[in-house]
This record gives sequence, C-alpha cells and structure tokens, in this order.
Amino acid sequence: MTIRAFFAILLCKLLRFASRVLHRGGTAMPGRFALKLCPDLLDLLACQVKTVTITGTNGKTTSARMIEEAFAEQGLSYLANRSGANLIDGITTEFVMNSTLFGKVKKDYAVIECDEAAARKVFPRLKPRVVVVTNLFRDQLDRYGEVTHTLENIREALKGAPEALLCLNADCSLTASLADDLPNKVRWFGIEKGAAPSREKPEISDATHCIRCKTEYEYDYISYGHLGGFRCPKCGYRRHKADYAVVDIVEQRPDGSDIVMEVGGEKQLVTVNLPAMYNIYNAAGAVAAVSEMGLGVKAAVDALAKFHCGFGRMETFDLAGGTRMMLVKNPAGCNQVIEYLQTMKEKFVLVICLNDRAADGRDISWIWDADFEGLRALAGRLDQVIVSGDRAEDMRVRIKYAGVDDSFIRVERDYETLVRSLEQETRPVCMMPTYTAMLELRQTVIRHCGGEEFWN
Amino acid sequence: MYPDVLNLYGDRGNVMCMQKRLEWRGIENTVTRLPIGSKANLADFDLVFIGGGQDFEQQVLLEDLHRGKDREILSAVEDGLPFLTICGGYQMMGNYYETYDGVRCDFIGAVDLYTIGSKQRMIGNYKYQCGPESGGSIVVGFENHSGQTFLGEGVQPLGKVLAGFGNNGQDGTEGVRYHNLFGTYSHGPLLPKNPALCDHILLTALRRKYGTAELAPLDDAAELAAHDEMAAKL
Repeated sequence: MTIRAFFAILLCKLLRFASRVLHRGGTAMPGRFALKLCPDLLDLLACQVKTVTITGTNGKTTSARMIEEAFAEQGLSYLANRSGANLIDGITTEFVMNSTLFGKVKKDYAVIECDEAAARKVFPRLKPRVVVVTNLFRDQLDRYGEVTHTLENIREALKGAPEALLCLNADCSLTASLADDLPNKVRWFGIEKGAAPSREKPEISDATHCIRCKTEYEYDYISYGHLGGFRCPKCGYRRHKADYAVVDIVEQRPDGSDIVMEVGGEKQLVTVNLPAMYNIYNAAGAVAAVSEMGLGVKAAVDALAKFHCGFGRMETFDLAGGTRMMLVKNPAGCNQVIEYLQTMKEKFVLVICLNDRAADGRDISWIWDADFEGLRALAGRLDQVIVSGDRAEDMRVRIKYAGVDDSFIRVERDYETLVRSLEQETRPVCMMPTYTAMLELRQTVIRHCGGEEFWN
Repeated sequence: MYPDVLNLYGDRGNVMCMQKRLEWRGIENTVTRLPIGSKANLADFDLVFIGGGQDFEQQVLLEDLHRGKDREILSAVEDGLPFLTICGGYQMMGNYYETYDGVRCDFIGAVDLYTIGSKQRMIGNYKYQCGPESGGSIVVGFENHSGQTFLGEGVQPLGKVLAGFGNNGQDGTEGVRYHNLFGTYSHGPLLPKNPALCDHILLTALRRKYGTAELAPLDDAAELAAHDEMAAKL
C-alpha cells in the first residue's frame, strides 16, 4: 500500500461523501480523481476479491442483479456497481467505498457490470474470474460505432484477462466468435432448438453475414433478432451446443417465465421472476456465471425465482392500475418489450419517453428499426399512447406511421404532469423510457408512489 | 435495394413513410426487396431506395455491384429513374471512395462525385434547404459520416447547409440532385419528419410514370411538429 493509494482512497471517499451530501448521485467523479492520483488503484483493490464481470449490449444490469441475488441468498460478502457506474471511474469508486482507508477491501466477491466500450480499460485491472458476455446488438452508432467494433473492443479487453472463464451466449454469432483465438476457457449458455417456436427471420438483423468469411448465415431456428441456431454454409462456423441450455420454455406470463434448463445432463424447472424472452437469456447467463463462480446451479435457480430487478428494468410501481417500467435503448431490446406488451390481457396505457442525450445516443433513428408496428396487434387493448421526453414529437410520428391513430397519441412533456395524470388512472400502465428519460421519470414516479432510490 | 446490408439505423423508415403517404391517398404500391444476389430489372420499378450500411458488409456489397449491377444502376439513373440514396448508398453512386490512408474503392460512377475518408467524424443533427428543383423545403436530419463528398463541376447539390456539416463541412453543399436521383447524408428516417421532401420525391416518380400527377394534401400536424421542433433547435 503506497502513500499515493492512501491519499487517492481518502480523496475518493471524501468526494463521494460530499456528492451525497449535496444530493448528487454521481459515482464517476470521485473515482476519476482517485485514478488520477493513483493510476493503479483499481488493480490494487480488485486483486483482493473474486470478481464476476458482465458485459454485452443488452441485459447487463439485469444479469448482474440476478447474479447478485444468488450471492446475497448464499450470504456471501460482495460488492456490486450500478448501471450508471459501469465505466472505469464508477467501478473504482465502488471498490474504494468498500475498502478501508488503508486499501483493504472488506468484501470477498465483486459483481461488476462493465460498459462494452470501457471493457478494454477495465478487464485487465479487474482480472475477473468469470466474464459473462450477454449478447451483441447494434446500439448507439454515434457512441460505439458499428457492432463489429464493439465486438473487437471486447475481444481486446479479454486479451487482458486470459485467466477469466468466459460465459458466452451460444446463440449470438457475434458473441460466440470471441471464443476464437483467445486462450480462455469457455462455457456456453443459450436456448436450444425446439425450446420455443422459431421465428421468421427479422427484416433487420444485426448479423446477417458470417463474422469469419462474410457468407450469409443459415438458421436452424431463431429465438429473436439474430440469436438462434446459426451456421455458415461456407466456412462451417456455427453455434456451439450450450452447457447451460434452456431446453423448454414451459410458459411465458406477463410477470415471469417457467423454463427447463439442462446442465451437465440434469434437467430442472426454473422460474424466472421476470417476463419476456430476453430475460430467459439473462437468466441462463446468470445460472452459468453463478455456477462457474463455484456456487452451484441450485443457488442460481433459487435466486431467479425470488428476483426483482428494479432500476427501470421491468420494474413495477404502485401507480395507476399497476405500472411497469421497461428500459429501451436499441431496436433489439425495444422489439422484445413490444412483444412483451402482447401478453397484456386488459386495457392499458402506454407511455413512451424518448431522449437523445449522450447516454441515450444522440441519434434517435433506431426507433424506425424497432417494430412499433407490433402495437397494431394491440388494438382494443391499447387505449392511449402518451409520448414524452426530449424527442416526444419524433416518437409521435413513429407511432403514427406504425398505424396508431394520431388522435390516440398525447404529447406530455412534463413528467410531473404526466405522473399526476396517471394517478387518476385505473388501468395498468406500461412505460418505455430510454436511459436518461428513465432516470428522471423514475424519480418522479418514486416521489409520488414510493420505490427504491438508485444509489442506496 | 440491398435492404439486407444497407439498413443502417432507421433507413427503412423512409420506405415505410413513402408507402404510408401513398396509401393515405389511395395510391396502391408494392415494395420489392432486392437483396445481395437478387436479379431484377430496374426498369420494372418506379422508385429505388438505397440506404446506408456498415463497413463490415461493404466488400460483399461491392462484389455484387461489380457483377454488372453497377452498369444497370448507371443506365437507370441516366434513364431518369428516381433514386433516393442515403449516406453509404449516396457515396456508392459516385466515382469512388478513398480511405484516409489512400486505399481507393471504385463505385458506380452514376454521378460525378467522389468521397474522401477523413479522421474527423461529421456527426449530429443538421438542417439544409433544398434547391428549387428539389422542392425548396427545409430538411432536418441526422448525419454521421467520416467521408467527405465533393461534387464534380456543374453537379447540383440537393441543398445548401443551414446548420451542420453536409457533404464535406467546407463548401456548404449537401447531397446531390442529378436527373431524378436524390442523394443525401441525412441517414435514418429522413422522410417522416420532412413530408414536403417526401411528397416531392413521390411526385417525381408519379409524374415520370403517368406524365402528370398531383398529391392531395394530408394532415401533417405530427410530422411538422417534429420537423419544426428540431429546426428551431438548430
């Protein structure tokens, strides 16, 4: 422990304390200054704990919370970051806040969600035991560039963590290619053929051509987006059989799913206490990670049944006739949410909040790749669409061209007015905010009807 | 054309928009997807849309183009077939693309323009005013390109940049208008928020097909609200 590290930790703790007193949630700034003072601070702290890291385009936060739930159920002492703090600065702050002034980390484990663009800086320092890569979808071109760039970022990052065991999504042809030319041990998770009805090939796929030889893929089945049983007819690159395999999807409900998972030849029924197909993938990845961290499959399965994500990911609130908030940020995730809406049995109100700030992506054209046309199938159940956020008018146009009558669409920019009007509502409400819209909308909802603060 | 690879961020919104605006006026239309490897006679169509793509698939695309489609597109453009081409699709209509480190890719050469890769990305919301031959409307959009496009002598731009970068961030031009080909960097859903430009392109196609044509006005309250909101910010 160097004197430099001591002062960096002290500074970080003071800054964090100050930002809390001032009621600023910021977790990045303290870590940023600490790293300036002591560039290897994160390495010094992270080497003391056993870390599991989660990265990928969609599902990082939910997967991390699932893993965390299993750790908590097992009574392990662990630290974890929050999605707003998934760059190197925020992760450093989290480690510092869980260590003594003299640099001794007070926990045994760490569950760290890591932004895919930040992974190159973070992985070599964290030296994680297990890395989960959830999937790779096209996301915020202005921030990340093309999806293959993100993939190469993660590949580079993993070169700095050769000891890590990788839990990879077997059904994602982009993610699966990480197993090539890396020395790491790999475990696969995925949904097997026949577990769910195969879908039609989507009009927009994020990975149509073979990542190795650029020949168009053929599919045995598609679970959603470009995920499924892919194979390249030319070079033979194809899906691996999953070690953590979803072999049957027994039931999908508005509030959760029952699935059968097969691990090491043993099948078991798993209840995932969160709805929608993409959470079945998140659950499978979490089971893989928890098991490979040495806790066993049962620990993960038990946790999934009790799990609540919060943080705007399928989070429920006691507002109107019941409110569910579902973060959307790119076409693949948005399509999954629109599909989830199809499970609504009664009349409901839909709120869509579209922002175009840095963390959302400045470019909102992705809303035209998302299949809002799916809303048409809800005619009779969907009574009103309220659009909000900085780009509410663009969302209004998108919904109009998706086939929703413009007279059903209400533009309401002010969250306070919006939430207040929903208090009079007896029907259930589904909210689809982008990231920064979610932070604000969630604050407003919590002020009115309670809920957990982001930074606890 | 090439919806399988040239579909970067919302490009299909333009096709959806044109379809709807025709449907709302009772004009029947069909959309045909021409992916890589498809064989179709361009003369059978009334309007061709080509969007932007990722670098990853570019090589596959160029191989397909150079198997004869480039000549077919070139003669269709000369023949006055309306094209709306965006970002990568727009660059492709030019003579070539030269990367920052000097590697040159030959394109279709349907329009006398070329593109040079630069280190700086030109990115953000922007607006431009179309020339009178393209309807004269003010267009708002989002550009995201590192290629700087330069028009040949006497080649008309689609419009004049009012805010943002446009073709190259230097000469104030944006896009191209050549015969009935419209090219622009406004990627993603250009048309939904710019109904005047959409209708102008549709009219161009209808007049070529039927000689004369008019489009009944639509209630564009939502479209214009989105347009005006962004136009006011820039």
